[in-house]
Amino acid sequence: MRYTRSAAVAISATAALALVTGCGSGGTSDAGSSGSGSSGEKVDLTLWLPTQEDSQKAGLETLVSDFEAANPDITVKYEERSVDDHKTALRQVAGTDAGPDIYWYWEGPGLGGELVNAGMSLDLTKYYDQYGWSDRFSDAALAGITQYGQHDGIPWTLQGEAIYYNKTLFAKAGITGTPTSYDELVADADKLVAAGITPIQFGGTVNWHVMRLLDSLIETECGSTVADALNTTQQGWDSEPCVTDAFTALKTWGEKYINQGFMGISNDDSSQLFYTGQAAMALEGTWFDANLTDNGVNPDDIGIFAFPTGTGRLYGFGEAYYVNATSKHPDEAAKFLDFITSTAEQQKVVGAWAAMSPNVDVAPATGNPLHELWPPIFKAATGLYINNDQNLSLDQTTEYWRIQNSVLTGDIAPADAGAEFQKFIDANS
Amino acid sequence: MATVAAPAAVARRVPPAPRRRKPRDWPGVGLWIALAVSALIWATPFVFMFLTSVKSKADVSQLPTWNLPTVWEWGNYADAVDTGNLWVTGGNSLMISVIKVPLGLLLSAAAAFALGRLRFRRHKLVLALFAVGSMVPIQIGLGPLFNTMYSLNLLDSRWGLILPYLAFGIPYQIFMLYGFFRAIPDELEESARIDGASTFRIFWQICLPLARPALAALFILDFVATWNEYAMATTLLQSQANWTIPLAVQSFNTQHATDYGALNAFIIMSAVPVLIVYLMFQRYFVQGAFAGAVKG
Amino acid sequence: MTTTTPPVARRDARRADPPRPRAKRSPFVRALPYLVPAGLLYGYFLVYPMIDAVRLSFYDWSGFRTEPQVWVGLRNYVRAFTADPVFWTAFKNSLIWVVLSLAIPMMLSLLLALGLNRKLLGRNLFRSVFYLPAVFASITVAAMWRWIYNPTLGAVNQGLKAIGLESWTHQWLGDPKIALYSVFVAAIWQSVGFNMVLFLAGLQQVPVELVEAARIDGAHGLQIFRNVTLPALRPTFVVVVILTIINSLKVFDLVVGMTGGGPAQSTQVLALWSWTQSFQNHTFGQGSAVATVLLIISLALVVPYLAWALRGEDH
Repeated sequence: MRYTRSAAVAISATAALALVTGCGSGGTSDAGSSGSGSSGEKVDLTLWLPTQEDSQKAGLETLVSDFEAANPDITVKYEERSVDDHKTALRQVAGTDAGPDIYWYWEGPGLGGELVNAGMSLDLTKYYDQYGWSDRFSDAALAGITQYGQHDGIPWTLQGEAIYYNKTLFAKAGITGTPTSYDELVADADKLVAAGITPIQFGGTVNWHVMRLLDSLIETECGSTVADALNTTQQGWDSEPCVTDAFTALKTWGEKYINQGFMGISNDDSSQLFYTGQAAMALEGTWFDANLTDNGVNPDDIGIFAFPTGTGRLYGFGEAYYVNATSKHPDEAAKFLDFITSTAEQQKVVGAWAAMSPNVDVAPATGNPLHELWPPIFKAATGLYINNDQNLSLDQTTEYWRIQNSVLTGDIAPADAGAEFQKFIDANS
Repeated sequence: MATVAAPAAVARRVPPAPRRRKPRDWPGVGLWIALAVSALIWATPFVFMFLTSVKSKADVSQLPTWNLPTVWEWGNYADAVDTGNLWVTGGNSLMISVIKVPLGLLLSAAAAFALGRLRFRRHKLVLALFAVGSMVPIQIGLGPLFNTMYSLNLLDSRWGLILPYLAFGIPYQIFMLYGFFRAIPDELEESARIDGASTFRIFWQICLPLARPALAALFILDFVATWNEYAMATTLLQSQANWTIPLAVQSFNTQHATDYGALNAFIIMSAVPVLIVYLMFQRYFVQGAFAGAVKG
Repeated sequence: MTTTTPPVARRDARRADPPRPRAKRSPFVRALPYLVPAGLLYGYFLVYPMIDAVRLSFYDWSGFRTEPQVWVGLRNYVRAFTADPVFWTAFKNSLIWVVLSLAIPMMLSLLLALGLNRKLLGRNLFRSVFYLPAVFASITVAAMWRWIYNPTLGAVNQGLKAIGLESWTHQWLGDPKIALYSVFVAAIWQSVGFNMVLFLAGLQQVPVELVEAARIDGAHGLQIFRNVTLPALRPTFVVVVILTIINSLKVFDLVVGMTGGGPAQSTQVLALWSWTQSFQNHTFGQGSAVATVLLIISLALVVPYLAWALRGEDH
């Protein structure tokens, strides 16, 4: 079924917000299924997902082994790939038999929606009825699932993205408190530079890392309405003056505040700078809580504040597990998905992928002090704006990244960037 | 081929020096030094790779590359085998190479025999058609190849991958073997025919043995090329259980690039089979080049 | 070309079995069983995809099974030439790669071959050291050099800092102005050995009598090189040139492993841009259009060479 991107974005944005503010409220008990009455034939389920960090991997192993113990006839094999390879691999196998039974993906129209459009996502409505999933997940989480007209996937995380900062380095630069406006953020960055500290780190080779900064700058300079129009209808890039402002700001960040040589390293390399205290800030999401502790960072040293866009919206997106429409074992796949989102299992692994579980009956994770910093941020947000590679089509995303990088390297002037992007959009639509 | 080298070797044998010492061959010494320095420069990437592969992450971050490790982390190799799934992917690569290479050579030899000895009319046109295929980049056909394999239901299949591998190896081999078969003296074939030999026996018992040097060289070159192939493998193999070594290397490079020690260990291990093949069969590489250079 | 001579077939006419009566079949029919297997594989898995790539270039298709192919005529080409900012970068880079490959690695390998063409202590070791990189997979070489070019922990920048040339350190793979050349250095490292071996083989073909005769006539090294060696090397040169050009157009793994086409698509080459558009952007029509351009360029270079090589084939 067709959908409009702006409608989808609007729905998921407002609803996602409701998810996190209503988090923790009671709901009906879920039917944690275990013990299969299967026919006895051996079933192999395959699951594809991006590279898992240590605690995520441990969580996944727990879920898989618990499921296999409860369902001796089913084995689950999972394959990890880097983020970009994961996207490429799924697009390659969409509609063929070479794909997995279950895949993890980002919900936004430019990514998850693309695969839905290609017919890769199985409509899970009957399983929602069978397992009562509509009661297990909040309406907000379900908004991301139903945005394409049917039930695509089950919600797995809602990731918020904000700026993680090193408290020690901030203090060293003489910064008290966190910036509440964009100008304050820039002023703080200047203070860090004056103190000889790299303000923020990015890895340029993966493109979507620096994109987070650009998306936030567009939100800041253009405001919510214009930004949404730009990102979802792909019109106005050549006419809105705020676009030039955003690209100019991006260039300034690249010249003054981002780690030297970021264009040639990956986000894994650049994150090392943050872990070792050589960069003061990182623009990451709720998954980063676990990354930090996995890499030996003391969570008490780290604070989080939302990027001060001035619009009140939080940067973020949802991730879901989808069932492949060409899967030969949709029932078993659904059973697995039901199992891993059940209250019992979620309570074991909450916090590994995000601070909050998609299951409304599961309390937020407590192990990591960073998890507690997020609820206030979510509460304060008035909406959500999504990463642009989930808004734009595939070739638009490639071009968006090219222009973003060209502005940073000086090959395209900020004033020309918007026009060049619009030209591409119009020529290729 | 050996006969050509012989006169050169004979001619180069310097007559015994007279009693007194010959003056030092300074240009020769200078040349040797220049070569030695170049070779050292050429070998440094290997050295650095090895050094990094035995260092802990702390050593890599804090010490320069050329320093010896403070602790020799041989465990990096074990980690790399695990993370990169070396046994499975190595087994896949081996299986594909061991099946594809002899089969491809046989098919190419048969076709080269047909073109070179059963000289039907327009055989040169057919040869040209084969040769063209060896010279255009394979990436041109990757998209449609994906579709073709999909329609044959052979996506994500190691057996399936062998088919396009065969197709891409054959043209070059036919081109090379054609010259060898052409050069077999006609009298041999004629006398065999008089004795009543069938075409197949001529092929199998006369021509193939004569082409043995070329076949050996092509075997080695093809084995290495098949082992190292990336573009088609990445397009046609999806599940990680079916991956070949090059895919595993690239995956390691993108997923675990900050595990510097394990990454370099994996690179070294992934190249070991090819290294062994090269060291054991060095002369065939050179012979393969002979075949290429002379039969322009 | 000489071959070893097998035992001479017996001309003994007193062999027991009489010649079997054999129907006179045309050579072509006799050749068929030998040609068909190779021909079928070649035709179906190589030729057909290439032709289909040309066909697809006239269509618009996302590549997803569920979506149809839509005829658009020449639009993909128009877009590639006028509205695709990366196409001309890729084209230019491929061209640069070809020219540089002919200039630098070829000269280097010739020099090395000349140097190694005499009995030297450790000659085999030298030859191995230079040839070994060619034995590695290109994707492996890419992974190696990506590590070497790492801005903080890689050998190049660390080495420069150590000898006091810190100002010469660069973002080898992160600076769009030099990234392509950084990748090219890795290609030089990998390919010099192979061409060197080809030249060595060719040098073995230089008629020693001519060299001796020239020396007796009083010519010294450089003159001998120019007047005897070089002309004798001409067939080898042709082979090396054509192989270098073809391999330059095929560059793919190295770029994928080192930069993925970046930064800002500055290291894109035609083969990779075609693949990117087909498999990452899911615009198979555009990707096929770029592939067709590459095919035409390749054919334009290869066909004349083949015509020349095969013409001299007649008895």
